[in-house]
Amino acid sequence: MSTLHITDTSVASLAPLLAPSLPGVSLDNDQVTGFAAQLKAIATTSTRRIDAWSVERGGLPSQPFAWSASTARRLLGTAAAQAALSGTTVLSAVQDQIADHLIRATRGETRFGSLGHWLGLLSHAELGMVSAEAVNWATQLLDVADLLGPSVTLCRTDAYFNVSGAQTTLRGRRDFRVGGDDARVVVRVRSGAPTNVAGAGLRTDLFIETLSHPARQAPQRFIGLWPDAGITLSVEGTVENLRKGARDVVRVAGAQRLHMVAKAA
Amino acid sequence: MTTTTALPFSVATILRGNPSNRPVRDDTTAALLHDHLVAAVRRTTVGLPVVVRAATLRGPLPTLQSSTIGRFRGLLVTTALRLLVNGIHLDDLFVDPLEAWRSTCSDGALLQQLEDLDADQSARLAAEVRAHVNVLRTHVGPVPSAWRPRTGVRSTLLLDGGALQLRDDVDLQIGTQRSDVASIALLDVTTAPLSPASEQLLRYHALVHTLKTNVVPLRTALFSTATGELWTRDVDRTLLEAAVADLTDHVTSLAVAA
Repeated sequence: MSTLHITDTSVASLAPLLAPSLPGVSLDNDQVTGFAAQLKAIATTSTRRIDAWSVERGGLPSQPFAWSASTARRLLGTAAAQAALSGTTVLSAVQDQIADHLIRATRGETRFGSLGHWLGLLSHAELGMVSAEAVNWATQLLDVADLLGPSVTLCRTDAYFNVSGAQTTLRGRRDFRVGGDDARVVVRVRSGAPTNVAGAGLRTDLFIETLSHPARQAPQRFIGLWPDAGITLSVEGTVENLRKGARDVVRVAGAQRLHMVAKAA
Repeated sequence: MTTTTALPFSVATILRGNPSNRPVRDDTTAALLHDHLVAAVRRTTVGLPVVVRAATLRGPLPTLQSSTIGRFRGLLVTTALRLLVNGIHLDDLFVDPLEAWRSTCSDGALLQQLEDLDADQSARLAAEVRAHVNVLRTHVGPVPSAWRPRTGVRSTLLLDGGALQLRDDVDLQIGTQRSDVASIALLDVTTAPLSPASEQLLRYHALVHTLKTNVVPLRTALFSTATGELWTRDVDRTLLEAAVADLTDHVTSLAVAA
């Protein structure tokens, strides 16, 4: 089944999605090798990065990455939320995070283009907006953690999988994990409102989360939570959803290849 | 409704109120409001989807408020609020919010409009923003991080499968959803004087928040930096039902106009 489940963000609606059920399925080596072979067959001249966002955009090229208060908020805010769970206030946790990056930049420990380097170029008012965005993100994470209950863990990193020989890095965003490793539910928090391709994005995140797991075991469910819209979408960790996620990743690699060829021509 | 104008007062303190007299958290009303709203909108014959923003409920705006300078003044004052709530000291009440706003604005056309202001318009904008931010700084007061403040909170609700879209921006939200008592307070800051239409705005913020989170907020407030006046309303089912009626009237008026 590849049903996309839609509900609101209340505790009552989320509880059944988080309840333990049968463990998710696993990918075997042949399936992973087959997927890698399909990506290898799509040539690329540079490193390819694919995530749910690129799937939702159908492989259309995005603007080059640039630091801004919006792009920095998740990195700073998630680390601050982690600290806030240990008792620090959100604002001081964000200020500590910003200070750490600035200190590393001042010591010359950061490279050109890093967050620390960029923060070092900002005025105090601009840093204030970075702080405001990060505080919003961290506070939102804490609110979501409250909704998800006591067995929730804030994810320190996203899920990454490098496809050997295909110059391809897959990145699956994740913010929370609920439950034990063998029957985990993974939650991603997103801004705005879901679009009609949000389901494809969730299946991509589900697939990459599964690939990055040491035993290639899928979570029992992958949940996308849009607090700004009060909407929750979720997909189950089924073979069908993993297949669709894999197909979308390969499709995006193909679309990126076409754009690359068109740009070169 | 409570109107506060006496000096001195702290907006943050009034928003928080007395934590010992808060009503029990209400997470049952949202579903009823949702059903009433969807049913009412379905009865109209307006072309779908209908998109409602807080600004569209206010009706036609006075020329001054819709002017370029009025728009930038509003943007810079709300930016100043974000900085103040996050503990940033403002060295210059115009330059700091301007610098901060520029760093986050991705709308090239809007930035160009700002660049296109002549020297006289720029000077007028600077003077107005300094005056409004001064009022803001005097009255907002410290907002402890423990109150979980969030600034520039956006909502995009898609009701009835997206047929009705409710969009909203609240300048400051404090409190937490998971408390056993109502604890969320919403604040909108306007650079215009408060008017009878502001009542609708207060109700709209409360309704959107309730539908979004399924939890009724504690109170909703509007602060005018033009007059230093603060309107606060404790949120209850009557207020939310009035907000549903406002929206229904608005959608019906769209249908009639069409």
